[in-house]
Amino acid sequence: MTHRLRLPLLLLALAAPLLLAASPAAAQEPPEPPPEGEQAPGEVTLVLEEGQRPLLRLAFPELETRGRLTAPGREAAEELEETLRADLEAARIFEIQGPWAFTVLELTGELSRDMELYRSLGNEILLLGDVTEEAGKLTFEGRVYDLASGSLVLGKRYRGDFDVARRIAHTFADEVILYFTGRRGLGLTTIAFYSDRTGDKEIWLMDYDGANQRRITAHRSVSLFPAWTADDSGVAYVSYLDGAPAIYQADIGSGRKRPLVTGTAFNTSPAFSPDGRRMAFARSLEGNTEIFVAGADGSGPRRLTYTGAIDTNPAWSPSGGEIAFTSSRSGRPDVWVVDPEGSNTQRISTGGEYNDGAAWSPDGTKIAYASRRGGVFQVAVTDRVTLETTVLTSGAGDKESPTFSPDGRKIAYTLAFGGRGGKNTQVWVMDADGKNPTQLTREGNNHSPDWSGYRE
Amino acid sequence: MSRKWMVWVVVPAIAITLLGCPKKQPQTQPEEIQVDTEEVPEPAEEVAPPEPDMTEEDRVQPELPSDIEELNQYLRDQGLIDDVYFDFDRSELRPEATEQLATNADWLRGNPGYVATIEGHCDERGTNEYNLALGERRANAAKSYLVSLGIDGGRLTTISYGEERAVCTESTESCWQRNRRAHFVVRPR
Repeated sequence: MTHRLRLPLLLLALAAPLLLAASPAAAQEPPEPPPEGEQAPGEVTLVLEEGQRPLLRLAFPELETRGRLTAPGREAAEELEETLRADLEAARIFEIQGPWAFTVLELTGELSRDMELYRSLGNEILLLGDVTEEAGKLTFEGRVYDLASGSLVLGKRYRGDFDVARRIAHTFADEVILYFTGRRGLGLTTIAFYSDRTGDKEIWLMDYDGANQRRITAHRSVSLFPAWTADDSGVAYVSYLDGAPAIYQADIGSGRKRPLVTGTAFNTSPAFSPDGRRMAFARSLEGNTEIFVAGADGSGPRRLTYTGAIDTNPAWSPSGGEIAFTSSRSGRPDVWVVDPEGSNTQRISTGGEYNDGAAWSPDGTKIAYASRRGGVFQVAVTDRVTLETTVLTSGAGDKESPTFSPDGRKIAYTLAFGGRGGKNTQVWVMDADGKNPTQLTREGNNHSPDWSGYRE
Repeated sequence: MSRKWMVWVVVPAIAITLLGCPKKQPQTQPEEIQVDTEEVPEPAEEVAPPEPDMTEEDRVQPELPSDIEELNQYLRDQGLIDDVYFDFDRSELRPEATEQLATNADWLRGNPGYVATIEGHCDERGTNEYNLALGERRANAAKSYLVSLGIDGGRLTTISYGEERAVCTESTESCWQRNRRAHFVVRPR
């Protein structure tokens, strides 16, 4: 696909030379166009990296409806289109022209002619989709064209009940994003969190975009700190359902719950190793909380830290070679790392007044955490190797509990505002550079988001 | 470890029951740790535990409400058992906290038929995970002090709620202070 940007808008025309200058090699040597017709999934010819390429200019006219749609069918089709647009927007790799932009065009219905028209508005790719309804089911067909060559680069068809319209949109969006970036989109990923909206603190799940918020525990107790298992089939969490805080695991498919670590007075903050074989957690010995490592089922706990200070809230690195955790051994809470054998302890956070809640980026190069600066918690990111720290957020409201999306492009976190009615805490998501903060939860207070991997 | 021994020497009755524990300490597996082997917080070394003026058996039981909530309300109203409060992000006992704990110890000593749960709580300003550990520390600081005053650790259960069960939900210092506490709940054995 070539990048001959023909930009009709003055603003974009001005911006284009800057964008191209930032990546001269990329601009001069466009990668090979994808082969005509079919392309095997996962076979990727063009990889975009943020900051290296301008956004791809995508024309996305209204979905066509073929035949008659019933009212529920139409509603499902609208939900599908809305979700698809939101997914593609959230991927931050496209500059999308929607239906409003095409009112100036005299579209003919003849594809090759219309592609020229879409291209005349500066677009590089075109997404066409149509929806049909048959026997209470929805069929969606999505097609992506390279406007320079006029060739179809991606075509998919999905069929399902009306209530899977969002899932169809997510699945297709993920394919489109995979094609253009080499990384699957986040459409089918899930964020676990805990919420007090029912009056008790329970464990909840939601889609990555905040849709489908659903409760997975009904302990009517205090249940906290969900952590996905390595294969995303379950969520470990802390609950007081049997008195003392202990660690349990909920299987997502069956809904079954089982205890992982119980017995002693205080067990909290589960975190699984990426190979799924071990679990780190925090346990109190005589009031002094230390990091432990056990089997993924809680068996054979082994102590990892030995200080008189608080050591808690472990997070396993993606390589499995390190565990980040919070320790007050320096006199205040800070993020530290230690290897799973308990050696090679190193402090990660040096700035701020109070640092907790470490989360690794999926590539293992960065650790995000909540860092109190000037009395307000902000999300900070420290490079694991250089220890260089960037504060991603600013302004009022405590931002805590960051968690990376599995593609590393986004960070979910909590934002809390105090007030006369008490502190109100909600889960938000932002781009990994701190841009585009978007609120995901609104009901009750919502805490401790943990982003799943790519579960199918 | 030496401080712990000093305290136990002045409280021989408890020391006898615990003598075996410190020897096991170095190779102790986490599961085997007993709730009785509490680390004594700083203030304890300055305060000698008072000699009980009568044995627990000699004391006459006053008539107490049987309902747990009423019982605890009554004890608080009478100033017999009350919560103790902490500074922000700290688990050390303040001087007035040790005074209140001495009062709590007096009542527990005189009412051997009762046990206490000590809940550790925090205000909303720290992070949830860290506060849970901090609350655990606060509850245990209160418990250790009571043990140093001669109360059987087996009668004292600790539980941390961190900032998850605040008694006061406004975002003000006075409210935060009310939440930074070790909260006592007394009930019959």
